[in-house]
Amino acid sequence: MLLWIILAFLTAAVAAAFIIPLARSARAAAASAADDRANPDNRAGEVEVYRDQLGELQRDLAGGLIGTEEAEYAKAEIGRRLLAAAASGEKTGGKKAPEIGRHRLAIAVATVVPPAIGLCLYVMLGSPGLPDQPLEARLANPGNDMALLVTKAEQHLAQNPQDGAGWDLLAPIYFRTQRLGDADLAYRNAIRILGESVERLNGLGETVVAENQGVVTDDARTAFQQAAKLQPNEPRSSFYLALALEQAGKAPEARAAFETLAKVSPPGAPWLPLVSQHIEKNGGMPLAAAKPAPPALGSPTQEDVAAAQNMSSGDRQEMIRGMIDTLAAKLTDDPNNLEGWLRLVRSYAVLGDKPKAEAALATGLKQFPASGDEGRQLVALAGQMGLAVAPVAKE
Amino acid sequence: MIIEIGHYALVLALATSLLVSVLPMIGARRGDTGMMQVATTGSLMLFGLVVIAFAVLTWAYVVSDFSVMNVWENSHSLMPLIYKYSGVWGNHEGSMMLWLLILTLFSAMVAAFGRNLPETLKANVLAVQSWIATAFLIFILFTSNPFTRLNPAPAEGQDLNPVLQDLGLAVHPPLLYLGYVGFSVCFSFAIAALIEGRIDAAWARWVRPWALAAWCFLTVGIAMGSYWAYYELGWGGWWFWDPVENASFMPWLAGTALLHSALVMEKREALKIWTVLLAIMTFSLSLLGTFLVRSGVLTSVHAFATDPTRGIFILCILAFFIGGAFILFAWRAPMLKSGGLFAPISREGSLVLNNLILTVACATVLTGTLYPLALETLTGEKISVGAPFFDMTFGLLMLPLLVAVPFGPMLAWKRGDLLGALQRLYVFAAISLAAGLVFWYIHNGGPVLAIFALALGFWGMLGAVADLWNRAQFGKQKTSVAFRRLVGLPRSAFGTALAHFGLGVTVLGIFSASLYGTEAVVDLKPGATVSTGGYELTFTGMKDGAGPNYTEQRGIFTVRRGGNVIGEISSSKRLFTARRQATTESGIRTYGLSQLYVSLGDATNGGGMVVRVWWKPFITCIWGGALVMMFGGFVSLSDRRLRVGAPSRKAKPVKPAKPTRPQMEPAE
Repeated sequence: MLLWIILAFLTAAVAAAFIIPLARSARAAAASAADDRANPDNRAGEVEVYRDQLGELQRDLAGGLIGTEEAEYAKAEIGRRLLAAAASGEKTGGKKAPEIGRHRLAIAVATVVPPAIGLCLYVMLGSPGLPDQPLEARLANPGNDMALLVTKAEQHLAQNPQDGAGWDLLAPIYFRTQRLGDADLAYRNAIRILGESVERLNGLGETVVAENQGVVTDDARTAFQQAAKLQPNEPRSSFYLALALEQAGKAPEARAAFETLAKVSPPGAPWLPLVSQHIEKNGGMPLAAAKPAPPALGSPTQEDVAAAQNMSSGDRQEMIRGMIDTLAAKLTDDPNNLEGWLRLVRSYAVLGDKPKAEAALATGLKQFPASGDEGRQLVALAGQMGLAVAPVAKE
Repeated sequence: MIIEIGHYALVLALATSLLVSVLPMIGARRGDTGMMQVATTGSLMLFGLVVIAFAVLTWAYVVSDFSVMNVWENSHSLMPLIYKYSGVWGNHEGSMMLWLLILTLFSAMVAAFGRNLPETLKANVLAVQSWIATAFLIFILFTSNPFTRLNPAPAEGQDLNPVLQDLGLAVHPPLLYLGYVGFSVCFSFAIAALIEGRIDAAWARWVRPWALAAWCFLTVGIAMGSYWAYYELGWGGWWFWDPVENASFMPWLAGTALLHSALVMEKREALKIWTVLLAIMTFSLSLLGTFLVRSGVLTSVHAFATDPTRGIFILCILAFFIGGAFILFAWRAPMLKSGGLFAPISREGSLVLNNLILTVACATVLTGTLYPLALETLTGEKISVGAPFFDMTFGLLMLPLLVAVPFGPMLAWKRGDLLGALQRLYVFAAISLAAGLVFWYIHNGGPVLAIFALALGFWGMLGAVADLWNRAQFGKQKTSVAFRRLVGLPRSAFGTALAHFGLGVTVLGIFSASLYGTEAVVDLKPGATVSTGGYELTFTGMKDGAGPNYTEQRGIFTVRRGGNVIGEISSSKRLFTARRQATTESGIRTYGLSQLYVSLGDATNGGGMVVRVWWKPFITCIWGGALVMMFGGFVSLSDRRLRVGAPSRKAKPVKPAKPTRPQMEPAE
């Protein structure tokens, strides 16, 4: 309500800025309708300037800045202009005074336009019901808003960067909300300050894997190995270490590792279907378990994810296609990028575009022959995705 | 609620500017005082409303209200407070608000201080200003509304572009806009004159200070932008002939021409129509610059967002104002009475030469800027027009102008005497050449042409001194008398001399930095040393650090000269956590007028860093000269007296038979 009162006050002030001069001049004109002075003389300003110029000239002359002879010329010149201006001023000076009634329309316009345009546009564009939300006030009373709690923790950490517990708390939240760079930093800070723990090392490893589009890099493997050292047979690190073997193309070792993991896991553990799937992929017998979980896509950026949430499924498909095309173009320019090829092949396969996936696989194998370590990873991926490896790679 | 008040104030500003666009113009046509007075109150009200809107937006930034989309997109709660303020215009919407704020500020100033302006002229000028404000208000409200809200509000902002998190953002855009938009007043005066079909002495008297003020701000705004790019981008260059830079430089060239022709007009009532045309051209180039920068036609740090509807909208504004102005000019200009006559060799003549060279130079820059864009649009071919083109065209055009600058103020009004001016200047020409030679001798090894280049710089500086010297009649009068005359000279004379001196300083800086600068790109391991420009830099090592919203790696270098440690330089690579974007902070140390510039590159395999080191002799002269120019402009602006140009009757040799009588000197 207060808002509307203030808006009304503003509108009235604007209208007054127009109405007051109009009304006052109408009254003044009525009071001195016959007075010539009410009518401005257009030439008055000009004449005044010339008078000032003459004064200026006198001062220059007195100060010795110009010679007498020059001053005479200048004076004559300005004098001529002054006369001309004064003469034409007299000619045009006798215009009739404005009529009083004319301002009625102008006043009406000035009264109607501000509220009409102001309110119409504001109702169209504004959000009158939405209160101000300064961050400090919101942080003082964050309620259950996760994002606000995160911000609060961030502000605390900006002041106290050595608070390991804070980093430890934030890291998994960052990971869940796809802020992988922040998660990486938070895990590393937590490990640096609080020391290594299975939870932190696994978290860091998973973050690095996510940052690398699902590839278990050396960096990630080191973290998992460290975690496995702290607690042998811990399922998460075991899984990723086995996955690393699989991605390196060491199928028998990978199968053995997955089978060990399946053995030490309690019956009915939620990760068993996934493990079973991997055992099968690496040439073993699948466990008698539930249906396989859907494979994860590559990793779009945070903005992409946000954008994707607002899209129809068709648009989303389009966006994913666009991202894949970009990657394909990048690889054409710079084919020496194994992780790129792995990701491209996987993406095509996930989208169900088998011919493209196989074509990409063949091109990737040209760069990384199947005999090499890198090539084996590609072949392994092909097996996992059920793709045929072109004969050229088998040489 | 505060935010919504700001939004409503902006909407109301549109209603106000519509009224001010129409009512005073009708009033001026009918000779209706009341309707003309509406322009004054309305313009002040318009300014007040825009101030409210701008203040509210700033408040939203300062308190990090992320329910405002613009704040969420361009701010972060951990950003230092100064960047929360400057971040207001560090984005598309906010920068348009700043543009509007300055535009309405100038309208309000015309309204408040234009009491002795002829009433119809004032009404028309303010109405035209209001047209511009209306166009930009519609643009802001419908395509780039800074008050769009988000519900629910995000908890943290997306941070300001790290490149913009710098003091430069607080200084460069407001100054540049004060310049750009300041020329809108000259434009409005020109349009008002065309509508009235009459240009009188009062008109000329009013246009000159506005052109001067806008020119001062634009000069220093461009210089600050150049310095910012120099230290922030880490490329060691200070001017790249980048289309965005050209976009600000073109109005400056046209504005410089306008400033000089407005002077002729005020003093001598000559060049009236030409001044009107220049006023239109200058502001048109400002609008063109806004279009190029804001539409996303060009990709640069200035193009915050590329949204085609915005581009088309600005293009429409551009077409309306520029096209409309030129049509009006073609229609009405022949009806204007042209003024005083003058001989080819006279002060007026020299100012015409100045105008011609500046406009042609401006046209070459325009060609070099737009040609690649046109070519890309028409044929899809991408070419880049860079320094070689501009050096050959613009550089060559500027040379005769720089030679001619000291002559201008020496010539008398109406009829000048080139021989006399030459005689007055030859001593200074000789000194300039000698100074150039000395310079060359100190840095011997430079190309021979460099002497002339440097001499040109000194020529500009000494020519300005010569101007004052002659006016005070040193050498002709007793020293004490001459000194008294010097003190008694009008401030506008000092302003002219200072501005021309500053130009000389800038030219000197440009030539000496580009001719004698040295560059070294090396792979340095900690402990290694690189030497350039007589300084030795030892790489001490890298140090980790953190700022409020970034982490950094700082490379530290010890500077030695002749074996003695004289200081430390550090350059750092920063990673801004919110956007995960990296920037390089270059390390700069100033020794005298010269600078040592260090920029950190990438780490190499052997544990070293790629380091670029530049030695830039006298480079600060470039920006220092611009500051002197601006200062000269303000000195002249502070002289509120009228400018009268007293004509001289005929040419006289410098050494007449009667030495007792003081010489006739052109008066300022």
